[in-house]
Amino acid sequence: MFVTSLTPSEALFAGPSFLPRLAEFGTTYVEALSTIPIVTWLLNSLIVAVGTTVLSIAISLYPAYALSRFRFRGKGIAGLALFATQMLPEAMLVVPLYAIFGQFKLLNSLTGLIFVNAAFSVPVIIWILKGAIDSVPVEIEEAARVDGCSPPGIVLRIVLPLVAPTLAAASVIAFFHGWNEYVFAQTLVSSESLRTASVGLAGFVGELSTPIHSVMAVSVIYTTPAILFYLFVQRFVVAGMTAGSVKG
Amino acid sequence: MNSSRPSINWLPYIFLAPAGLYLLVFQGIPLVQEMYLSLTSTSLLTPRNNTFVGFDNYVALFRSQRFLGTVWVTFVYTVSCVVLAIGLGFVTALLLDAPFKGRAIARTIVTIPWAAPPVAVAIIATWIFNAQYGIFNHAQRALGIPAYEGWLDSPQYALPAILIITVWQIFPFSSVVLLAALQGVPKELREAAQIDGANAWHILMAVVWPALRPTVVLLALFVTIWSLRRFDLIWLLTQGGPIGSTNTLVIDLYQRAFVSRDLGAAAAVGMVGLAVALLITLLYIRASYRTDRTEH
Repeated sequence: MFVTSLTPSEALFAGPSFLPRLAEFGTTYVEALSTIPIVTWLLNSLIVAVGTTVLSIAISLYPAYALSRFRFRGKGIAGLALFATQMLPEAMLVVPLYAIFGQFKLLNSLTGLIFVNAAFSVPVIIWILKGAIDSVPVEIEEAARVDGCSPPGIVLRIVLPLVAPTLAAASVIAFFHGWNEYVFAQTLVSSESLRTASVGLAGFVGELSTPIHSVMAVSVIYTTPAILFYLFVQRFVVAGMTAGSVKG
Repeated sequence: MNSSRPSINWLPYIFLAPAGLYLLVFQGIPLVQEMYLSLTSTSLLTPRNNTFVGFDNYVALFRSQRFLGTVWVTFVYTVSCVVLAIGLGFVTALLLDAPFKGRAIARTIVTIPWAAPPVAVAIIATWIFNAQYGIFNHAQRALGIPAYEGWLDSPQYALPAILIITVWQIFPFSSVVLLAALQGVPKELREAAQIDGANAWHILMAVVWPALRPTVVLLALFVTIWSLRRFDLIWLLTQGGPIGSTNTLVIDLYQRAFVSRDLGAAAAVGMVGLAVALLITLLYIRASYRTDRTEH
């Protein structure tokens, strides 16, 4: 993809070539930036991704703690319900969600996208965080409890710092979810100024009138932050993913 | 906390309530509405105008040849995803478990496809499978097979093309999870087997595989469920075509809702997909319950 983004059309159509001319670098990217509103798209994607991350973590922390630490009636059902959400296709819920969003005035807004994306990432994140909290010894909490710390305070001040690496992993997963999400961004948002990068780029799939090197340049700009972000916390993501699934 | 009085501890419920309410609003209620829609005749143009038709939508589905084709495509797609993604994940996990120079970098590189946005993957895929410039058509021509159309435009090759791209995108998850499971296999077991004169294949089958089996089964469940609901890659690349050759249940659902504007039939397709996912999950739970009982 990166190679193609630097190869001018004529050279590309001549056959597979893997030697882009570096001189093209500037021209291609400037051209892409001037013809395609990539900055707006990326900003929208960023808002959605960050919002999804913050909201998902905020919603997931306490349930994860409850599922890890307490024995209570209905725990099994809660776990099953979380798993069941994994079966729901986004494409199926789009229609009813459209109606609900219409009532809450959430249609055509990035806030709406954040809400719906969080709903899809919360179950996964609860599960991952639960796995991490499971491995924090309860004794650590006892001391804080004796000192008069309330249960919500214990979660925030004692447990949260101890599961920080997993929290990082969970954040990346939620961020990706928001950054990559396509179906809802396509159907629940209509105005061009609120278009996310996934929807904007999707318009280029199979379309041949836009110069391919511009499309590739935009794709590179869209993909690079995700991959860089991922590489940055890769270790934690892998740990979190495996903790959630191997034990699960 | 509630040791002095045997009263109900409300704390876990209070901790769970916000998330429960949230998921109820954004997943539970829409799901119930979708269930109801599947029993009605509703057009996308007049969504509030539903006529109750009972199970007519379902009856019509199972009578239509097209829907049976969809079920078959979904089956082939899902099973292939499970076998290929876990197979490739298993092989790469074994390779990455062996000590070699640059292993840390290799482990990172393997996971990158998982981080790539599906839309970007779709854009690359249209070029990889392009009729004139794509490498697959080049390979085909090199093998002497006539290749006039891109794989994604060919009823014969579209599903394999979608599978190749899907597997490339999802195998890192299996790889990473299996690698972690591999590292949980005690080294002493493998060494003991080696001393007893077992070859690599025997060790794999007798020591490694039994330890990994629960993980593989759980992975299979996840890959199945995720494959049943995968939308963006397939929709962006083929929209279920050509001639329905890549039309999975979810794609069919979307087609019916937004192209044919038949919300009732679309919801019915969704319910069928959900029933399949539920059935597979129940089978899994029963199977793992049984092995639990025989092992302890």
